[in-house]
Amino acid sequence: MAALLEIKNLHAKVGNKEILKGLNLVIEAGEVHAIMGPNGCGKSTLSAVITGHPSYVVTEGKVLFKGKDLLKMTPDERANAGVFLAFQHPIELPGVGLAQFLKTALNAKRKFEGKESMDAVAFMKYMNVRATALGISNEMLKRPVNVGFSGGEKKRLETFQMAMLEPDFCILDEMDSGLDVDALKVVGQGVSVMRDAKRSFMIITHHDDLLQYVKPDKVSIMRDGVIIKTAGAELVKEVEASGYDKF
Amino acid sequence: MTNSNPFLIHAQDQVVVKNPDEKSWVFEVGKNGNLWVDFLQMTDDLDVLVSLQGEAAKCKINCAYLTNKNNNLNINIKVLHKHKKTTSEQYIRGIVTDESAVSFKGIIEIPKSSQKCDGRQHHRGLILSPKAKIEATPQLEIWADDVICSHGSAVGPLDQNQMFYLQTRGIPENEARKILLSSFLGDLMPDEFSDTIQKWMDENA
Repeated sequence: MAALLEIKNLHAKVGNKEILKGLNLVIEAGEVHAIMGPNGCGKSTLSAVITGHPSYVVTEGKVLFKGKDLLKMTPDERANAGVFLAFQHPIELPGVGLAQFLKTALNAKRKFEGKESMDAVAFMKYMNVRATALGISNEMLKRPVNVGFSGGEKKRLETFQMAMLEPDFCILDEMDSGLDVDALKVVGQGVSVMRDAKRSFMIITHHDDLLQYVKPDKVSIMRDGVIIKTAGAELVKEVEASGYDKF
Repeated sequence: MTNSNPFLIHAQDQVVVKNPDEKSWVFEVGKNGNLWVDFLQMTDDLDVLVSLQGEAAKCKINCAYLTNKNNNLNINIKVLHKHKKTTSEQYIRGIVTDESAVSFKGIIEIPKSSQKCDGRQHHRGLILSPKAKIEATPQLEIWADDVICSHGSAVGPLDQNQMFYLQTRGIPENEARKILLSSFLGDLMPDEFSDTIQKWMDENA
């Protein structure tokens, strides 16, 4: 089976500083792949490069998504091709209502796929089912995106956006940092519900909190801008027992 | 609406309005009076003087400016708290693009005899192109000591992290920009101006 995401010899820098130094990674369709590594190893840079953040410059290497060159696409084209990033620090959009924002995003995707826009009634139904499942209240849907929400609520909203857009490839960037157990459960539940034979997840983390709720198929250890080891879920226990220094 | 510099007076209780020419306005607000006026400036200068000259007079001035091409605008708004216990609010927001330039000067003056006044002025500007300019000069002339006064001015480009966040949700760049520009103006301007504003956004976002 072809890989959903294939990264070959990826080098990337921010400013003059090289952060990714020849990274290789393959994620199959349907796979939940955890990327673990100490702070500063380049994990978040990897998610920024895959999604096309303008501050990061790729100097060498390839990123193929469904066999296509992701690096040639704009961030919105990557999103509409099926890549989703749940942010470590979700961005506040004052004055932009969450429901309207999601409707615009969903219809942008439908337009990209050559489908008709969803009308207001169909959209409300589509949204309410997903909101209820993740404990998102009506009042939250009316508020501006990420404004005035607690850290846990913001992560819940990222999970909700993921459920709304139904991407093929979900990157969860440090979703578990600063989350209490209840919020972790919601994120874990969101992933579990969406997990299927086609959809893949890349879970970026530096400890095992979220991985207690979502069992990964594969785990890669990242250090100093490269993947140094890939194995099964048992690797999580090894990291928890003896840290990253042994790798 | 074809007027590119529309205004709307929402409230004018105990107000004497003088409008000597298209660009100049003087409002004299009397005792317990109330003035609320909105201005949208796209091509013309604006010069506003509000004189709060009776006890407990109050005013709200909302002003948005949207400029493009090589338009060069001067916007001057002065609120004079001539009497004690008067209240003023000024909200100014603007977007400039191409090679346009806006010079905004906002003055709150509270003489020594006008105690217990409350004057507020907030200005925010967005610069969409490297050759566009906003020069903001907020000026407080406060001589009374028992007053509340606040002002703030912030000018900058569109937030790249907000743009990126919208794009990661599949929203194309030009649409993302329009969303952020509309939300920047928020509900500062009345519905009556929304066609004019929408047209400007479509052509300049």
